[in-house]
Amino acid sequence: MSRALKNNVYNTLIWTAAVLSIAILVFLIATLIWKGMGAISVGFLTSASENFGSEGGILYQIIGSLALTLCAAVCSFPIALGVAIYKSEYVKSKVFQNITDTIIYSLNGIPSIIFGIFGLIFFVNILQTGVSWFVGGIILAMMILPTIILASHQAIRSIPNSYRENAQALGLTQWQVIRAVIFPRGINGAFTGLLLGLARAIGETAPIMFIATAFSGVTVPRTFLEPVSSLPTHILALAQQATNPQALQNAWGSSLVLVSLVFIFSISALVRRIQYSKINY
Amino acid sequence: METNTARKINAGIEEEAEVSIKISNLNVFFGVNHILKDLSLDFQKNKVNCIIGPSGSGKSTLLRSINRINDGTEKLKVTGAVHFNEKDILNGVTNLTQLRKDIGMVFQSPCVFPKSILENVIFGIQQHKKLTVSEKQDITEETLKAVSLWPEVMDRLKDSGQSLSIGQQQRLCIARTLATAPKVLLMDEPTSSLDPVTTRVIENLMERLKKRYTIVLVTHNIAQAKRISDQVFFMCNGQLIESGTNDMFFNTPKKEQTKSYLKDETCVCR
Ligand SMILES: Nc1ncnc2c1ncn2[C@@H]1O[C@H](COP(=O)(O)OP(=O)(O)OP(=O)(O)O)[C@@H](O)[C@H]1O
Ligand SMILES: [Mg+2]
Repeated sequence: MSRALKNNVYNTLIWTAAVLSIAILVFLIATLIWKGMGAISVGFLTSASENFGSEGGILYQIIGSLALTLCAAVCSFPIALGVAIYKSEYVKSKVFQNITDTIIYSLNGIPSIIFGIFGLIFFVNILQTGVSWFVGGIILAMMILPTIILASHQAIRSIPNSYRENAQALGLTQWQVIRAVIFPRGINGAFTGLLLGLARAIGETAPIMFIATAFSGVTVPRTFLEPVSSLPTHILALAQQATNPQALQNAWGSSLVLVSLVFIFSISALVRRIQYSKINY
Repeated sequence: METNTARKINAGIEEEAEVSIKISNLNVFFGVNHILKDLSLDFQKNKVNCIIGPSGSGKSTLLRSINRINDGTEKLKVTGAVHFNEKDILNGVTNLTQLRKDIGMVFQSPCVFPKSILENVIFGIQQHKKLTVSEKQDITEETLKAVSLWPEVMDRLKDSGQSLSIGQQQRLCIARTLATAPKVLLMDEPTSSLDPVTTRVIENLMERLKKRYTIVLVTHNIAQAKRISDQVFFMCNGQLIESGTNDMFFNTPKKEQTKSYLKDETCVCR
C-alpha cells in the first residue's frame, strides 16, 4: 500500500470511530430527553413518590442520591489528599511506591458489586449497622478513592522540584513546605478527581442497593443509620414494572435527572481541568 | 601616637579579614562517588567570595553543603566541619530552619511562586513569624529597594510575580531571601540565565549587598569573577586548586592548572 493510501485508510477509520461514538452518545441523550421530558415537571421534582414510584415524584430519591454522594465526598476527599501527599512527599522507597500504586490500581479495578457485598458483610452483618445511607456513603467513598488519589498525586507530581528546594532554602520545614507549596496544588487536583469520582458514584446501583437504600416509604433521614432511596435504585425498581406505562414514563424522567446530575459533575471537572491547565503553576 | 595608628590599621585589617564561614576537611560522597575531596577554606565577611571551576567540579555541591539543602539526598555522606557562628553546622543538632534563615540561597534560574509580588517577598519570613499588614508592606518595600526593584514594581505589588521579566524575577528571589534577614548569601550562578545588561544589574547589586552580607558566588564566568570578586577559589575535580585575592589570583596565579584554566578554561586535574 502506498503511504498516501495508508493515511487515507487510517483517517477514514478514525473518523468513522469518532462519528460513531458521538452518534451513539447523541442518540442516547436525545432518546433520554425525548422520553424523559414528558415526565418532568416541578411537581415531579418536588414531591414524594407514591405507589412504588408509578405515581408522584422523585424528591426523596434526589435527596437520597445527593446525601450518598455528599457523604462519599466528605469521607474520601481528606483521605485521598492525605494518601497522595504522603505518597509523593514521604515515600522514598521505589518498592513501596510500586506496592501502593498496585493497590490503588487494583482498588480501581474491583467491580462495584464487590463493594456492595463487602459493605453487606462487613457493615450490615458484622457491625450490625443495618441498612444505612451513611454506610452507603462510606462504600462509595472507598470506590472513588483511587480516582481522587491519582488525580491529586498527578497534580502534586507536576510541581517542579525547584519549588520545594526554594521553599526549603528559605528555612521552611518539610511540613511548612507541604502546607505552603504542595497542599494548594494537591487539593486542586483532588477536587478534579472528586468531581469525576462523584459523577461515577451517583450513578452506581450495585454498591448501594443492599446496604443503603430502600424502595419505598423513605423520606429524609434523621439519623446516620437509616436507609434512603436513590435515583439509580429507583430506576431499577421502576424498570421492573415495565408493563405499567406510567412507571416507565417516570423511569425515563428519573434517568434524565440522574444523567443531568452526572453531566453537572463531569462538566465541572472538565471546566476545572481546562482552567487549571491555563494556570502556569 | 604612631603605635596607636598602627594598631588601628592592624585592627582594621583584621576586621576586614574576618572569617564568616570556615570549612575544614570537608568531604562529600554520593554513594561511592567522592565529590568533594578534603576541602579547607574560609569565606570572608562582607566580601564577594567567588568559586570558579569547570562543570562538575563540585561548586554547587560545596554551596549546597553550607545550607545543608542536600540533606534529603539518598546515599549522601558528609565528613569534616563547616563552622559558622562558632558552631559546626554539620552536626546533628543544628536547627536547619535557623541555619537557612542565616544563610540564604539564590539559585541559577529564578523560581517565583504563583503568587503576587508581595506574597513572594514575604513567602519565607511569614512562615517564621506572624506579620501585621504594615510589617508586610515595610519588609516588601525595604527588600525590594535593596535589590533595586522597588521603582519598577511599587504600584503593582498585587500582580503575579510570574508576570515579571526573568531579570526582575531573579531580583525578586534575592529580595525574598533578604527578607529572612540572612547574614550570608549563597548564590549559585545567579546570572547564567540572564542577558548581559541584566547581569550587570545583578553584579552591581552584589557590590552593594556585600556591605551588609557575606556573599558566596559560584560562577562559570571568569570575566564576572574578575569584575566583582574579592576572594577567588578555583576548584577542579572536587579539590581546591588555588585561592587568593582577586588581584593575586588573576594577576599572579601560582599553579599550572590555574594558568591553563584562566587561559582557555581547560582543566587537567582529573
Ligand atoms: N544529588 C546527586 N546525586 C549524585 N551525584 C550528584 C548529585 N549532585 C551532584 N552530583 C555529582 O557531583 C558532581 C559535582 O556536581 P556539581 O553540581 O557540584 O558540579 P558543579 O561544579 O556545580 O557543576 P556546574 O558548573 O555544571 O553546575 C557531579 O559529578 C555530579 O554528577
Ligand atoms: Mg552547579
